[in-house]
Amino acid sequence: MAAPKTTDQTLGASLRERGVSRRGFMKFCAATASMMALPPSMVPAIAAALEQAKRPSVIWLSFQECTGCTESLTRSHAPSVEDLILDLISLDYHHTLQAAAGDAAERAREQAMHDHAGEYLVIVDGSIPGPRANPGFSTVAGHSNYDMLMETVEHAAAVIAVGSCATFGGLPAAKPNPTGAMSVMDLVKHKPVINVSGCPPIPMVITGVIVHYLTFGRLPELDEYHRPMAFFGQSIHDRCSRRPFYDRGLFAKTFDDEGARLGWCLYELGCKGPTSYNACATMRWNDGTSWPVEAGHPCLGCSEPRFWDAGGFYNAVSVPTSPSGAAVLAAGAVGAIAGGAVAVSAKKETKAALTHRQPVTVEELEAKL
Amino acid sequence: MSELTLAQDRTTPQRDATPSELTLERGLAAFRAEVDGPVAAFFSSCVHCGICAQACPFYLETGDPKYTPILKLEPLRRVWENDFTLWGKIKGKLGLQQQVTDEMLTEWEELLYDSCSMCGRCSMVCPVGNDLALMIRKSREGMVQAGHAPEGLIAASVRAIKTGSPMGLQWKTLQVQIEHVQTSSGLRVPVDQEGVEYLVLLSSMEIINFPEYLEAITKIFDHAGVTWTLSTQCFEATNAGIQIGNKDIAAQLVERVVAAAQTLKVPKVISPECGHAFTAIRWEGPNLIGRPYPFRVFHIIEVLDELRASGRIKTEGMETDRLSMHDPCNLARKSGVIDQQRNLMNLVAENFVELKEHGKFQWCCGAGGGVSSNERAEPLKMAAFKRKKAQIEEVNPERMVTMCATCRTQLEEGLEEFNMEIPVVGLTEMIAEHLVEKN
Repeated sequence: MAAPKTTDQTLGASLRERGVSRRGFMKFCAATASMMALPPSMVPAIAAALEQAKRPSVIWLSFQECTGCTESLTRSHAPSVEDLILDLISLDYHHTLQAAAGDAAERAREQAMHDHAGEYLVIVDGSIPGPRANPGFSTVAGHSNYDMLMETVEHAAAVIAVGSCATFGGLPAAKPNPTGAMSVMDLVKHKPVINVSGCPPIPMVITGVIVHYLTFGRLPELDEYHRPMAFFGQSIHDRCSRRPFYDRGLFAKTFDDEGARLGWCLYELGCKGPTSYNACATMRWNDGTSWPVEAGHPCLGCSEPRFWDAGGFYNAVSVPTSPSGAAVLAAGAVGAIAGGAVAVSAKKETKAALTHRQPVTVEELEAKL
Repeated sequence: MSELTLAQDRTTPQRDATPSELTLERGLAAFRAEVDGPVAAFFSSCVHCGICAQACPFYLETGDPKYTPILKLEPLRRVWENDFTLWGKIKGKLGLQQQVTDEMLTEWEELLYDSCSMCGRCSMVCPVGNDLALMIRKSREGMVQAGHAPEGLIAASVRAIKTGSPMGLQWKTLQVQIEHVQTSSGLRVPVDQEGVEYLVLLSSMEIINFPEYLEAITKIFDHAGVTWTLSTQCFEATNAGIQIGNKDIAAQLVERVVAAAQTLKVPKVISPECGHAFTAIRWEGPNLIGRPYPFRVFHIIEVLDELRASGRIKTEGMETDRLSMHDPCNLARKSGVIDQQRNLMNLVAENFVELKEHGKFQWCCGAGGGVSSNERAEPLKMAAFKRKKAQIEEVNPERMVTMCATCRTQLEEGLEEFNMEIPVVGLTEMIAEHLVEKN
């Protein structure tokens, strides 16, 4: 871990010291720009901003969590983030990753808060027993999670909640929520909160948010749940590799039937892709190797609020929990007719185009020589 | 039903007595016919990130932004926007459409043919999953019909249809090679044998430049007890129609293979080593002819690895020099044949070192997709090779191994151009050299 004093060093200098090449750095900037759907013309701007940026001091607080988010972050992949992630920031406090222990560790947190007041970022993973819960449910160094969070965010520039526990309460807040667990945004009202949800979240999203902050000096555009639009703007379903099968009405009925083997849509097996917003389908996991739906398991919707309590993981999303009314059927019928009409008209256009196409003969080609 | 007939009557192009020719109008109709669901989805998903450029050896080695893969697709994109989108139609009403003109296609001919080997690396890195290589293939359909295909590829297609080989080769040339092989190996090369397991197809390049390939499979199949045959009816299975981008020509060439395989009643067909020939016959073929094959298609590397796995190939001795390997794009990236060649390498080479990026993310040699049949593209082809050259320099092997005649020729020419003394060998030939001799 970087010592606090290196925070004064610019990011460019820090990267050079670590032997990161200019080329590697530019590739990182380009990939980040595209990830955030910024135009390529922004790449030099990002590079220039990062080059000059002081690495922000980051205090990472872990509360009621399983360390899966940290595991995810430390296993982040291309473009060479595994080296860059810790160089982008000055990670001044992190239970799991820091070498210091006990009082020394707590002093590092206090030092960072003092030295960089108003400028440091707080990253939180894990949910927090709320102000009315027993403070003893979860403590660090004798402080309740709630006290530590409120004290630390007091002079922070912004708070990034990482993982579904910190963003929406996650597993600890699932019914019956014995610890009175609450999310960061339930508690922190006077500071900007960015939610990077997911169980665990995609590590590149965390890097992306930090890069955006360093480049533009402000936080990225957020959706209604405070999640960055660039990553959570589209549903899993819209980008799913199995989507063509959904469109053709081909569904796996069990995990071992012919359809499952042929890669058909997992909708009827409970896939929450249509109602889940995340970048798994495009960014994928493990160095872009695969992601749950591609590997054959329906999406659990882990980046959505209250996903633990949203009904069974293996119940199809549209299976009604109460008897469906005639209105639903009527709406469905109207939708089907409208959809059908659009499809027919599109098909017609393509058909017309096909009939206009004239086959090429070898004589015609020869005439060109 | 009657409405459909009427509609067809209205739209069927008139075929009068004047000789038909390739025109812009036909080109545009062909572009339109290529716009389907995936194409529409791809164009509307593009976020203009430019990552495809970072994956393209033609862009990277020239630094010229016009070689950005997505820009190469501009004619197809304009046709899609003008004719298939609401916004395009509104623009049309206001006279704001950007039209595809003959001048534009003249300019794009270089972009769609000379500077693209359809290696598919751009498709792999696209963050929104656009298959750019597929769209290049589709764009070429329009280019051919508009009369904007390169001369070299037109000539190759005409020769392929008229003589059966894009290089104008005839059976008698192969006959001479067969006799050479029989004399030097003491084995018989089976010709027109019915009911054997494999029909072996060749590329003209293998017959002319690398006759040792035919000798190698003759030896290996004799060693493993595999029954096979060549066919006088069809010995060539490269597909100039795929490279130039015309499904009519391509389908005719595939039909020849199907007919030969059916005449000889073979259950399995081995494609030429040539990468595009393999994807043409393995993946595009049944779609081109509109029906399933009555046989299965393999690359020789797949067959050899299966023989290895079932213990039918016994080898002795190992190559001791430092060897590295070039994966052909069509075999590795497009067809997923990646482990097989490594299994075979490990059988006979003890000092095998991988290029840094290999397998599905390997770099193209620069000669595929018709670039090597297009004389005009020679400087670009060599520019694109610099990427491969840099990769080779990185691991500094004593010899390179590959399994595609076009890649092999390009590697040999390229390494010579840059004065690098690294011989290139075929994997099949190397396996043949290590077979345990029969008593």
